[in-house]
Amino acid sequence: MKVRRALEARKLELPFLETDLPLNLDLSRRDILKIAGYGSLAAFIAACGGSPTTTSGSTTGGTMSIGSYQSDPGVKAGLADIVNAFTTANGGTKVTVNTVSHNIFQDTINAYLQGTPEDVFTWFSGHRMRFFADKGLATPIDDVWDAVKSNYTGAFATAVKGNDGHVYAVPTDYYPWAVFYRKDVFAAKGYTVPTNWDDFKALCAKMKTDGLSPIAMGQNDGWPAQGTFDIINLRLNGYDFHTRLLVGQEKWTDPKVTAVFKKWAEITQYYSPAPNGTTWQQAADKLLRKQAGMYVLGLFVSDEFKASGKQADVDQLDFFPFPDLGTQFDAEKALDAPIDVYMMSKKSPTLSKDSGQAKAFLQFMATGSAQGLFFKQAPGSIPTANNADTSTYTPLQKKAQQIVSAAGKITQYFDRDSRPDFAGANGMQSFLKTFIANPQADPTSLQGKMQQFWDSLPAEV
Amino acid sequence: MSTVAAAPRALRNRRTPRPRRIRPARIALHAFLIATVALWLFPLLWAIYAALRPVSETIINGYLSWPKTLNFNNFTTFWTEADLPYFYLNTLVIVVPAVILTLLLASMVAFCCTQFSWKFNLVVLMLFIAGNLLPPQVIIVPLYWVYLHTPIASFGSIDIGRFSFALFSDNGLLYDQYIGIILIHVVFQTGFATFVLSNYMKTITKEITESALVDGANVLRIWWSVILPLCRPALAAMATLLFTFIYNDFFWALLLLKTGDKRPITSALSNLAGEFFVNNNLIAAGALLAAIPPIIVFIALQKHFVAGLTLGSTKG
Repeated sequence: MKVRRALEARKLELPFLETDLPLNLDLSRRDILKIAGYGSLAAFIAACGGSPTTTSGSTTGGTMSIGSYQSDPGVKAGLADIVNAFTTANGGTKVTVNTVSHNIFQDTINAYLQGTPEDVFTWFSGHRMRFFADKGLATPIDDVWDAVKSNYTGAFATAVKGNDGHVYAVPTDYYPWAVFYRKDVFAAKGYTVPTNWDDFKALCAKMKTDGLSPIAMGQNDGWPAQGTFDIINLRLNGYDFHTRLLVGQEKWTDPKVTAVFKKWAEITQYYSPAPNGTTWQQAADKLLRKQAGMYVLGLFVSDEFKASGKQADVDQLDFFPFPDLGTQFDAEKALDAPIDVYMMSKKSPTLSKDSGQAKAFLQFMATGSAQGLFFKQAPGSIPTANNADTSTYTPLQKKAQQIVSAAGKITQYFDRDSRPDFAGANGMQSFLKTFIANPQADPTSLQGKMQQFWDSLPAEV
Repeated sequence: MSTVAAAPRALRNRRTPRPRRIRPARIALHAFLIATVALWLFPLLWAIYAALRPVSETIINGYLSWPKTLNFNNFTTFWTEADLPYFYLNTLVIVVPAVILTLLLASMVAFCCTQFSWKFNLVVLMLFIAGNLLPPQVIIVPLYWVYLHTPIASFGSIDIGRFSFALFSDNGLLYDQYIGIILIHVVFQTGFATFVLSNYMKTITKEITESALVDGANVLRIWWSVILPLCRPALAAMATLLFTFIYNDFFWALLLLKTGDKRPITSALSNLAGEFFVNNNLIAAGALLAAIPPIIVFIALQKHFVAGLTLGSTKG
């Protein structure tokens, strides 16, 4: 308006200019800038009004969006297949997928969920899920769960509940942690799979005399040793103590934790050399090259075997559950089996419009057929649905499915069960590195540091 | 006798064996230089060596082994799998406008603060330079909220295949937009650019500005037609530096963008690292490819770059 008035005023002042070319106004560069400035400002203001949102009652057709950390070529293709199948099954729903690098997605999740997230996003079960549910950044999906829960075992039902008792996620795949070994090495040397602690230690001693590194360990990145801590604590002190400890309801200075480190110190002498300077992949290479006998890690160790390009090596890979420690908690058969889930965000600008489609998608993700599509492209993790087609499973995958369904309790791994700052590089990762560097030292001072660090952390919400 | 005989020998010694006497020092110097060069080149050569080898071979034999196969497969895989041309374009639409805008704005500030005497001359200059000392991480939380709550108009977009540059926002916000990243780079680089350009402009005598004024040029004209051409070496040097700074940025794009497809090349590298398994040979190939554009820019502007370094020094 102001601009127009100014222009009109100018025209009135200088009527003789009308005879010239209409655009040939006597404008200096400054005037032009001014006009451009006011013009764009007006356009900006005009566009600032809220855009009207339409709500559709239908759950078919329409649109929805997914924020995905499935960035590797295999898993990315797997999700694309699922999306195509969903679009066909759901009356042509248009799905936009925002794929973000796996690590970046994790690093920026907090900002992402508070900004303008997609309707549905990929995430993890455990404390990591409950944390964002507590913060009100995820939408409860009890109705979706009611529709699909018959397709899941009880362990999964516990894994998707928030602290408020509502369901916040649909589990889609998981992988177990166990003790990996090469069948050919065990056969050649006449080793047998140990089921209790004494046998396990005896086997380690025998491997050492045979010139092998009994247990491969790559603690360079800080997190791999957390798996060993988890399993010893679960076997020694039980599921309840472990989960309470990881969320701060038990003290790190507890003698029960001392017992974990004392027990652990009995096998650290059998670790491969320089564990704190070895990455998990380098440690896996030791198992692959038959330099190490065993390796406590997740099923993803098979990725390294596959990348070596030799199927013969992949076929030799096998695992057994961590040996019993002779406590009452052996019967729990608890183990780390991190579950990947899909959740519904809260702050998505499109959610009010898309929530029907988003819920339909989550329901679709809970079917064995959809999970099978993903599994075909990404065989590193196992589908969660009861009606998933198991006929294409390799022996390793079948075994993984068996030990997880046999487990009475499932934990999600240290860094998914505890708060991220405690599990991270300044916290437990560095404490475990200290322990690995000098396992025979009295653990009580280290435990004191753990508790001190926990107490120094700010309240989480 | 001895003194007479000693004199010519001393003379001879002084004349001819002089280069020979320096030789041990020279050898030491060159040994040192070669060692330093080797030390500097080692990581680069190691990356090239790793990039040329398939990952299966290094898994089985380790990185410290003689190669059985050397090929460019990692480079081609990275180019196609990581969609490299697309991410180059992403970086380009952020870096080029950001560098140009920064140089224009910084040269304006530097021009006013060095060529004219006014009351707040020094204060303004200090303000811009002080902005340099502010670590960007400090303001990240408020900045994030500013970006989430700043409405920006949508006028459509420029589409090139899969690539789409929104004018000026596709979600009505500053958050998750190319333009938001461009702006934040301009804001944070202007301080440093102002500092360098004003130091350079101080070496330009005020008589030039004054004679231009006498000739009837207005301030904008003096800036554009008189001062900027004289600053070409400094501008080229700054352009090279700014290009590298902004090209290398990971932080802003990580925080102020949420769409994976809008992130610059630096994040394409991390796209190749899986949840657990990382193909380090592929990453090495990717890092080498990603390092090429800044080198090209340096080569293109290097003539000005060196001129910019030396020109200031002779003016004293």
